Amino acid sequence: MRALHPFTLIGIAVALPALAWLLPPPWGGAGAMTLALALCAVGGRGAGSGVLRAAVLTAAPFWFFLFLLHGVGGMAATGLRLTTMIASFLWLIAVLPPGRLVEAMVAAGWPAGAAFLLSATLSAVPALRERARNIVDAQRCRGLHTRGGPRARIAALRALALPLVLSALHEVDERALALETRGFSGSARRTPLEPPSDPAAERVLRWALLLGLVGLLAWRIA
Amino acid sequence: MSALTLEGVTYRYPATRAPALAEVSLTLERGEVMGVIGNTGAGASTLLLVAADLVPRVLGGELTGTVTRAGRGALLLPTPWTQVSGMAFTVQHEVAFGPANLGWPRERIAAAVHRALERVDAVHLEERDPATLSGGELQRVILAGILAMQPDVLLLDEPTAELDPGGALAVWRLVRELAAEGTAVMVATSDLDALPDASDRVVWLAGGRVRALGPTRTVLADEALWSDQQGGPGSTAVAGVWRRAGLPGPLPLTVAAALERVP
Repeated sequence: MRALHPFTLIGIAVALPALAWLLPPPWGGAGAMTLALALCAVGGRGAGSGVLRAAVLTAAPFWFFLFLLHGVGGMAATGLRLTTMIASFLWLIAVLPPGRLVEAMVAAGWPAGAAFLLSATLSAVPALRERARNIVDAQRCRGLHTRGGPRARIAALRALALPLVLSALHEVDERALALETRGFSGSARRTPLEPPSDPAAERVLRWALLLGLVGLLAWRIA
Repeated sequence: MSALTLEGVTYRYPATRAPALAEVSLTLERGEVMGVIGNTGAGASTLLLVAADLVPRVLGGELTGTVTRAGRGALLLPTPWTQVSGMAFTVQHEVAFGPANLGWPRERIAAAVHRALERVDAVHLEERDPATLSGGELQRVILAGILAMQPDVLLLDEPTAELDPGGALAVWRLVRELAAEGTAVMVATSDLDALPDASDRVVWLAGGRVRALGPTRTVLADEALWSDQQGGPGSTAVAGVWRRAGLPGPLPLTVAAALERVP
C-alpha cells in the first residue's frame, strides 16, 4: 500500500469520503466506512499505535452528539460519513510520508512554493512541539506553576503561547534568507531527487476514480 | 576580476535612520579568506547579507554604492535551526536542497552531496531526519548544504557558534582548503583566536564603518582593538594575556609567536 504513488493514495483518501456523501444513506456510507476502516486496519500496521483504534476513538464523540441531536436515523446517516472522512484522513497520514508527497509534487511540475507550503507545515509541528517544551521548562525554572487547577493552567498557557508565537515570528526573516541563499526562488526548475514511480495502471485508477465520482454526482443531481 | 567588490556601500534596514553599513569599500579575491570582526551591532552580519545579495532584495531597506560579484555566492547564517529547508526529511535531501533548486542533474547532485558531507565529516548522518540532530550536527549539515552548491563566494556568519573545539578546528581547516581550491571566503566570527591561521586579511568594522582593513597579523596586533573609544573587539587570547602582563609590543597573536618573543 505504501508503495503506491502519493497521488493515488490521496485519490483513494478523497474518493472514499466523497462516495460516503454521494451514495444514498445509510448503505452508501456504511460501505465507504467499511472500506476506510479496512484500509486503516491493513495500512496502519507497522505505523505505530493502531490507526484503526485512533479512527474509532476520534469518531466516537461525533456519534454520541449526533445521537443527541438527530436520533438514531440522523446519527447513522451522518456518523457513517464523518467516520469515513476521519478514517480516510488518518489512513493517509499513516501511509504517506511527507517526503514522498513533496517529491511527487516536484516531479509533477508543481511550483516549489506549493510543495514547500505543505512540507514546511508538516515539519514545523515537531519543531514547535520541541520549542514549546523548552519554553515550559524555562518558565518552570522561573517559578511558573504549569500544573494545578484551570486558572493556573490558563496562566501557564499564556506564558507559553506568547514566547512561542513571538519566537516563530522572529525567525521568519532568517528562514526567508536561508531559503533564498539556497536558490529556492531561482529561475531553474527544481530537480526531483527521488521521484516516486507512477505506473500506467495507477494513472488509470486515478482517472477512473475521478470519472466515477463525477458520474455519481451527475446521477445524484439528476 | 575580484570575486567580490564593494564600493562606497551604505545600507539602512527598513524603518531605521542610522545606516547599518556606511561607506564600506573592499575587495575579496579568489582564494582569499577575509575575517570580519567587530562588536555586536558593528555591521558584520549586515556586510555578509549585502555580499550575498540578500539585502535589500529580500529584507528591503535602502542600499547605495555598488556591489559586484563574480559567480555565485552563498551565506551560512549563525542559527542552524532556522536554516533547515523544511522540505527534506533526511540529511541527504537537506544537503541536496540547494543543488536541486539550481536544477542540476541528479547524478551531479548526488556527487556534490556526498563530497560536501565528507568535507564536514557527516556522511554517517545522511539517513537521519534533520529534526533529530544536535545543534553541532545540524550546523555541519547546513554547512554541507551550502558547500554542495559549490559557491564561488562563500560567506560564513559565526560558522563555529554551535561546534565543540574539535569541530571548530575542522571548520577552520576546511576554510583554508576551500580557499586553496579558489573559493573566496568571507567569515564573520568572534573566534578571534582562529583568525591568525585561518584568514589572510581582516576587516574591522565599528559602527558600520571600516575601522581597519589589512593583513590579519597587522590588524589583530593593533593596540586600538583594545583601547578604541567605541570599545574594540579585542584580539586573540595570547595577545590579551601579553598585554595584561604589560609586556612590550607588538602583540604576539599565537602561542608560537609568543614563545619566539620570550627571552
